[in-house]
Amino acid sequence: MALVEARQLTKVFRRPDKDPGMRGAVKHLFVRRFVDKTAVDHVDLSIDAGEAVAYVGPNGAGKSTTVKLLSGILQPTSGEVRIDGLSPQKDRIAVSHRIGVLFGQRTQLWWDLPVSESLAVLRDVYGIDHGTYRRRMARFEEVLELGEVLPVLGRKLSLGQRMRADLAAALLHAPPVVYLDEPTIGLDLAVKDRVRQFFRTVRDEGTTVMLTSHDLGDIEGFCRRLVIIDEGRIIFDGDLEAVKDAFARERILNVQTETVVPLEAARAALPGAAIEAGETPLHLGVRFDRFTMTAGHVVSALAPLANLVDFNVDEPSIEDVIRRVYSGELVLQP
Amino acid sequence: MKPYTAHARAAALSALAYRGNFLLSLGGAAVQLIALLAVWKVLLADGQVGGFDWPHMRAYLVVAFASATLVGTFVDFRMSHRIRSGLVALDLVKPVDYQRARFAETAGGVWIEAVAVIVVVAITVAIGGALDTPPGPMLGLFAASIVLIVPLKFAVSYLSTLACFWTENFVGVLWARQALTGLLSGALVPLAFFPGWLATTAQWSPFAGLTSTPALIFIGQASGTHAVLLVATQLGWVLVMWYGARLLFRRGLRRLTVNGG
Ligand SMILES: Nc1ncnc2c1ncn2[C@@H]1O[C@H](COP(=O)(O)OP(=O)(O)OP(=O)(O)O)[C@@H](O)[C@H]1O
Ligand SMILES: [Mg+2]
Repeated sequence: MALVEARQLTKVFRRPDKDPGMRGAVKHLFVRRFVDKTAVDHVDLSIDAGEAVAYVGPNGAGKSTTVKLLSGILQPTSGEVRIDGLSPQKDRIAVSHRIGVLFGQRTQLWWDLPVSESLAVLRDVYGIDHGTYRRRMARFEEVLELGEVLPVLGRKLSLGQRMRADLAAALLHAPPVVYLDEPTIGLDLAVKDRVRQFFRTVRDEGTTVMLTSHDLGDIEGFCRRLVIIDEGRIIFDGDLEAVKDAFARERILNVQTETVVPLEAARAALPGAAIEAGETPLHLGVRFDRFTMTAGHVVSALAPLANLVDFNVDEPSIEDVIRRVYSGELVLQP
Repeated sequence: MKPYTAHARAAALSALAYRGNFLLSLGGAAVQLIALLAVWKVLLADGQVGGFDWPHMRAYLVVAFASATLVGTFVDFRMSHRIRSGLVALDLVKPVDYQRARFAETAGGVWIEAVAVIVVVAITVAIGGALDTPPGPMLGLFAASIVLIVPLKFAVSYLSTLACFWTENFVGVLWARQALTGLLSGALVPLAFFPGWLATTAQWSPFAGLTSTPALIFIGQASGTHAVLLVATQLGWVLVMWYGARLLFRRGLRRLTVNGG
């Protein structure tokens, strides 16, 4: 059996359908209407020990809800979860020793105490002996440079400091399974790099990681497996490299011309590419396969039609891929 | 036990971080104490009201001040914030019992309030003379009833902060509760001044244990079996509310985890 198992996992949120204001609230007392929202829809997922899985999808796709179901914070509406054979909802205490959870938007540090005190509380909560604690702290110091953060009060931390401290807090008890929900949100490039480096060391020690992010950079070189969720349903589960091969071929060259170039003329000049209208009639987008065409080729094909004022090349983002996978434009074979 | 002593230790430390706010609210309570002492001194200048003479009333007010100061509103705000901000969700992935952890925090923060009480009582004694203490065994019972204020007040606060699972207006809940406890605990006026039926109801309510019980034992108006019964009532309410809160917490949590808040 896999370390993390979800079978037909479903979560339906029930929200009261109230009109705004006092009148709505009073009316709701008598006529109870609810709207159901299926945030996670019959998800099957099975993660083996040591795997690093990227869990991506557009805003509101149900990623955080899945993480909450997998960690026992939410009760599933139907379906079930097993962590190491245990139910996080029923065997709460036993599972809590096996999982670590980080919500990038939330902190679990004490607001008015230095970070070192927050971590000391967690040390006692998880029953970690002092020798082990010192060893783990030394490692956090090494990769996260935690030392400078330890004496700072929770409420005085910068975002980057807070995230590093929260990472230490989530991983202090060395859980075999770690869920990271947007762990790099709002971080600058230098901190991002450090944090990503830390993820790699965690993975290399054999920890099973499920990572949610909107930043492709978090995933590349870290996760081998990619799971895409949209509107609560898993629409892709497979090898990340395969996806990259499929979509990394695509480039979009955005050009701005001095005079209007009719789309048909551009299409005639560039048979192997797809031409899209840009934000003004003077802008064009040329989508091409970089294995059959180069940006230089596109530019020289367009040059006879008008003077080029400016151009740049877009690399597709993970959102792009998801959107196109979902619309059926891009077909991925798991 | 260790997870809970850790919470208590952290709360004891964090109490220091709020000493500014705390001193301010303490100042307010001390001014109120002085005002009440002044008013009652005039009212009782020659004689008694409702069985209280001036030395008794003075001791009553000092004990009432002490019980009002222990486990202050800061505890309410900390616990309600935990639910409203959703931090409670993160507590579910920890190997701790939520309620015991909150109690440990509350108990850990009491020390600063206890110190303040001792200082204010010492000042009162220095200015107005010593307070009559009850005889030995009753003094022990008084001490027990003062200690019981901590779990009792915690239980009342904890139960009311659980309202945050259902309402966003916690401040409204807090005000209503403060009005109720102020009246029924005997903090505003001794329960003996109430009409009979209300006095009886209040005496056996959970709130009497917050002020009236320790104060009456201290001034000797409750003694012997009556005093033992009052302290047993305090303890009984602590247990009832402790387990009642567990049920309510489970329901609140269901609302959060099943419906999604
Ligand atoms: N507590 C809740 N009550 C009601 N609806 C909720 C609740 N939590 C989430 N939802 C709804 O469930 C859906 C999925 O939300 P979720 O937070 O899982 O998305 P997500 O994939 O994490 O999005 P994002 O990338 O924006 O973080 C959304 O439509 C959201 O509005
Ligand atoms: Mg999310």
